[in-house]
Amino acid sequence: MTDEDRKKNRYQFARHDPEYRDQFVAITTEMVSKCPVAWSDTYGGHWVASGHHEVFELARSAEYLSNDHDVKGERRGYKGITIPSPDVEFQGGFLEMDPPAQRHYRQALNPYLSPAAVQRWLPVVDELVRASINEKIETGRIDFVDDLANIVPAVLTLAMLGIPLKNWDIYVEPVHASVYTPPDSPNIDRVRQSQMAMYQDLFGHYTEIKANPRPGMIDALARAEIDGKTPDDMELIGVLALIIGGGFDTTTALTAHALEWLSEHPAERERLSRERDTLLDSATEEFLRYYTPAPGDGRTISADCEIAGQQFKEGERLWLSWAMSNRDPAVFPNPHEVDLARTGNRHHSFGLGLHRCIGSNVARMVFKRMLVAVLDRMPDFVCDPTGAVHYETIGVIQGMQHLPATFTPGPRIGDGLAETVARMQVLCDERRLADPVTRKGTEQAEA
Amino acid sequence: MKVHVDPERCQGHTLCNMIAPEVFQLDDVDGHSTAIIDGEVPADLEAKVAEAVRSCPEQAITIS
Repeated sequence: MTDEDRKKNRYQFARHDPEYRDQFVAITTEMVSKCPVAWSDTYGGHWVASGHHEVFELARSAEYLSNDHDVKGERRGYKGITIPSPDVEFQGGFLEMDPPAQRHYRQALNPYLSPAAVQRWLPVVDELVRASINEKIETGRIDFVDDLANIVPAVLTLAMLGIPLKNWDIYVEPVHASVYTPPDSPNIDRVRQSQMAMYQDLFGHYTEIKANPRPGMIDALARAEIDGKTPDDMELIGVLALIIGGGFDTTTALTAHALEWLSEHPAERERLSRERDTLLDSATEEFLRYYTPAPGDGRTISADCEIAGQQFKEGERLWLSWAMSNRDPAVFPNPHEVDLARTGNRHHSFGLGLHRCIGSNVARMVFKRMLVAVLDRMPDFVCDPTGAVHYETIGVIQGMQHLPATFTPGPRIGDGLAETVARMQVLCDERRLADPVTRKGTEQAEA
Repeated sequence: MKVHVDPERCQGHTLCNMIAPEVFQLDDVDGHSTAIIDGEVPADLEAKVAEAVRSCPEQAITIS
């Protein structure tokens, strides 16, 4: 078969263009129905999988797909999961690795991120949510991104890593802004400076923990044996950047979009609040499906193969679109509508196969606790569409920069954010919440 | 109805446990699922198990 035959299904796919966000439903409908696997000449040429079945088959074909980002040119020179490849070559942690190293990292971190491990953090999350809302509850005005959804995931992620909780404001802005600020923006220098400050703080704690162990994922990484050896500092900083990037902006994006939708659908919001015992899980999965915070992942074909009826050649690049496959009518009836009670919701928002989002249990828990607290304390909130700022492009994260809202003011409950963060630090340290769980007893930290 | 989770396919998405906690237990350390009902699934849980099968992103659950 000639290359022309193999690439007969073609689509000019430009997911980094603002038009892709504006025309998402039309483009998705066309690609899913006409070319669920298409060749696109954009970004150096790559395959794009948008059909649910095709994405499912491809993502799980680990023997023919590589996530490897070979920054030192030691293997086959593969470019990792970003398409097009970024100018700066930096390995994005174990998401840009293949087994066995990838598996060793996950084995080191799973005991911090499993459902049982995450459950221990519930009281801390509730306290952070309560305190964040306290800061705004008496005014009747909040920015759901800046004042809530940016803060809670960031503080929690730092706590789980073993970084002082009060440092969250060193981290939150650079992580968030680096996603939505284009390289030609006048703000890019400021963003890069704040990123430098963040990496300096991160490297400081990493070095400190390497010398003096303390609970948290940094400790696990500093002592991990990966593929029979201790990884170098740069590799581990890449892993930490992956955990921070994955832990912050994605949950923020999901929460902002869900709250915006609920503001536009007040009857559904009342129903969700009233029937939360039965609807909260399915609604969460539905918001995950519909808004797909991380819209896709790149791969490199690692051997000639045929998958889902398409022939691929070694070295070709492939984009797995979780966002478009989540709108496939073959699996999701009325795919472009939000159905809070949807069943059979096999969405791809946490990826598939051996790279399934390792933080998925954290994301769900934090999202649900923020959502429920908003429903309880500001049940009549109305988002201001003129103040809402969506990311201009959705090539990396489908997120929001700002989401201001008004509501009937209410009373503060307990202390404010700074005091709460300080108290939660004491709680983390005393109960050793950031220790890993073990199979024998999940509550060893509280014993 | 008997139910089985393929440990090679399960990646710990946890939807089955959300839908039917009486049937699917998650490992403390990696969150991967196993069916804790060895024999026949009680009739009143069959619908929930069927929904877990449909919802599993990895299609790791089989019924026989």
